[in-house]
Amino acid sequence: MDNFFKAVVAAAAISLVSACGSSTTTSSVSSSTARGTLAVDPPLRIASLDAATFAAQLGATATGTELLALTNAPVCGVDFYYVKFWTVGGANETTESSGALMVPTGAAPSCSGPRPIVLYAHGTDTDKATNIADITNSSNTEGALIAAAFAAQGYIVVAPNYAGYDISTLGYHPYLNAVQNADEMTDILTAARTALPNTLSSATSDNGKLFITGYSEGGYVAMATQRALEAAGKTVTAAAPMSGPYALEAFGDTIFLGGVDLGATVFSPLLTTSYQHAYGNIYSATTDVFSSQYASGIATLLPSTMPIDTIFAEGLLPETALFDSTTPTVTVPGNAALSAELTAALAVPSNPADPFTPLFQLGFGTAYLINNDYRASYAINVVNFIDGADPAPLSPVGSPPTLATIPSAIPSPSLAPAFYLRQAFNTNDLRNPAWAPSAPTLLCGGDADPTVFFSVNTGTMAAFWSDLPQGLVSVLDINGTPATSAPLDAFAPLQVAFQASQAALLLYYQSAAGGGLSPAAAEAAVVQGTHTAEAPFCTVAARSFFSQF
Amino acid sequence: MILSNIRKLPATLALIAASWACCAGANADASAGDAVPNNDFRLGSYTVFYRASSDDLSGPYVPSGVNFHIDNLETLYIGYVRRLSAHFSAELAIGYPPLTKTYGAGPATLGSVPYNGQAISTARWLAPTGFLEYNFFAEDAVLRPFIGVGVNYTNFYDRRSTEAGDAASGGPTRIELPPSVGPAVTAGLAYRIAPRWHAYASYSASKVNTRLTAITGGVDRTSHIEFNPQVLVVSIGYAF
Repeated sequence: MDNFFKAVVAAAAISLVSACGSSTTTSSVSSSTARGTLAVDPPLRIASLDAATFAAQLGATATGTELLALTNAPVCGVDFYYVKFWTVGGANETTESSGALMVPTGAAPSCSGPRPIVLYAHGTDTDKATNIADITNSSNTEGALIAAAFAAQGYIVVAPNYAGYDISTLGYHPYLNAVQNADEMTDILTAARTALPNTLSSATSDNGKLFITGYSEGGYVAMATQRALEAAGKTVTAAAPMSGPYALEAFGDTIFLGGVDLGATVFSPLLTTSYQHAYGNIYSATTDVFSSQYASGIATLLPSTMPIDTIFAEGLLPETALFDSTTPTVTVPGNAALSAELTAALAVPSNPADPFTPLFQLGFGTAYLINNDYRASYAINVVNFIDGADPAPLSPVGSPPTLATIPSAIPSPSLAPAFYLRQAFNTNDLRNPAWAPSAPTLLCGGDADPTVFFSVNTGTMAAFWSDLPQGLVSVLDINGTPATSAPLDAFAPLQVAFQASQAALLLYYQSAAGGGLSPAAAEAAVVQGTHTAEAPFCTVAARSFFSQF
Repeated sequence: MILSNIRKLPATLALIAASWACCAGANADASAGDAVPNNDFRLGSYTVFYRASSDDLSGPYVPSGVNFHIDNLETLYIGYVRRLSAHFSAELAIGYPPLTKTYGAGPATLGSVPYNGQAISTARWLAPTGFLEYNFFAEDAVLRPFIGVGVNYTNFYDRRSTEAGDAASGGPTRIELPPSVGPAVTAGLAYRIAPRWHAYASYSASKVNTRLTAITGGVDRTSHIEFNPQVLVVSIGYAF
């Protein structure tokens, strides 16, 4: 038995020796939750595509092929990193968020070594699981766009998914909250700069140049970020906010006065939820704003894991009817003339000369989202606190596009219940506080955009900055007459290409393959897709603009 | 392969050798009579044929069809057998912990990163197996077949993702392979060379399964792996 025992001891000794050999290291998880902290270092590389593979992947689909034609073939490979970082929510709550770090790779001289960063902000997304870093997801078209337009051409791309999406446990998205949006962009930039040297793509480094851009919601976020970084004395090399709702107060006024944009029923709950969390005063019950049919559960509806089409089909939101087709009678105490004027202003739009009229009319229905009382209250607030960018007769033609002066607290109960929503628009309007870009800025958009109206947003900002030195802020209407003089003439081919693609689409929708729609229905289908269709053209314009610096 | 492993043998083998020398001597003094020796030390070759099958790796950002392949290998066999009765014995079998390489199987590339056929990870494992064996025929027979059943315990250690593995996974990767406990069976033949010396050949099969977790950048990817090794042992034993 002695020997058996010794043999067992010997075997045990081998086991003990072996137990000391442990496994290798992996990423470290940060214990700090301070703003801008990289939560997992190094971040996960979701995919690594060389230039040829990326070109082949894009070329495998029709939309990818169109995109390649516009962005040009990839010069660089792209490594896609999934960055988790700490930031804050709309009420300054600490939250983890995530996003993309796309790093150009490869042998071409423009693909490694010190390279500029493009800080990008994506457009409104109702999908809570959205992850712009996940290039393996074929529905991540915006991720593919910025990878093709920027990263594959030698720009390092940094783009948040936004708080409230993906891994963020915030429970809502701080939608169009200028302070939070800029904070989050700043935080992912800090985290990405921390991450870059530790990645598998450390041959590419930050050369210190920073370009800021984004589309739609992201256009707003980009402008808010540019403002915040410049105010903080940080380097911004150039910026190109695209198709954003910058002049939020004037845009809100336009919509409440009947100019309902496409997507308004989705944007509205995102906005009220965002501002309710930030300021706590938008409503005491969601029925203060929303019709009883939709009010229940609306505060936590978006973003959602449910597809937006399902949300419409389930009757959780109306597809387009923001307002009641039976419009309200407005009563301003002691002012019959104004009462009549507002009542008329809130009628369903019917101006046959306005090409947007059919679109506006879609914003009205019997199963509507926003209560008439609330809409009437908003209209009374508009006339009490005029925004210089509001349409005539509220604001006479030629008025300076100045923001309304809104008191911090409600001055009269007659202004309730919409006072604080308009105040939130005012607070988050990018004219508030007044500022001007110090870095060269290109504002790209399209005047036929049915979703984020061009003139009230881009036009208002351009007018707001009309006194700036020539060339500091340029406006590119991708749907406008192709420019013939510098500096915008560089973008003329993009204007021509966009307008040609829209014309081709109009014909396509009328063809058998495209559904054989009537000319009017085809026109409506083209209009419906215009906001999205502009994005790649403006994005390539932004790259062309950045390449000058 | 065996020789190079022997050169690398740690102090543990010296420990076994020392216990063998000490006790063999002690026994020799006491075994002047006809007593059947109760202990048998064996050394030999340990050839492992993997019958591995694994589920495709699953987890975030893993395309379908990502799997593994493990090469067969040969290492040093160390065995100790204790005589329990004329027909029954107990065996503790250990292979000198082999460095096992895992190769990618599936897509040629993940994105643009080579995968299929790349050595993506290495691990050593210590897999002691205890058998209760039944030996046929008389104890002094020239040929004695035996069969046995037992338990295998496999402990994986020195688990490392290679550079190619890190590239495929998307960053520095930690690999977890919890220990496995499973049944084992064996069948073999003993050939009597001299009263105290035998040659043995045996073939064993054991059920070894574990759940691989690869942790990269805070993301877990997992696969259930069944190694189910079959082992050919050819050894020489000295009884004392």
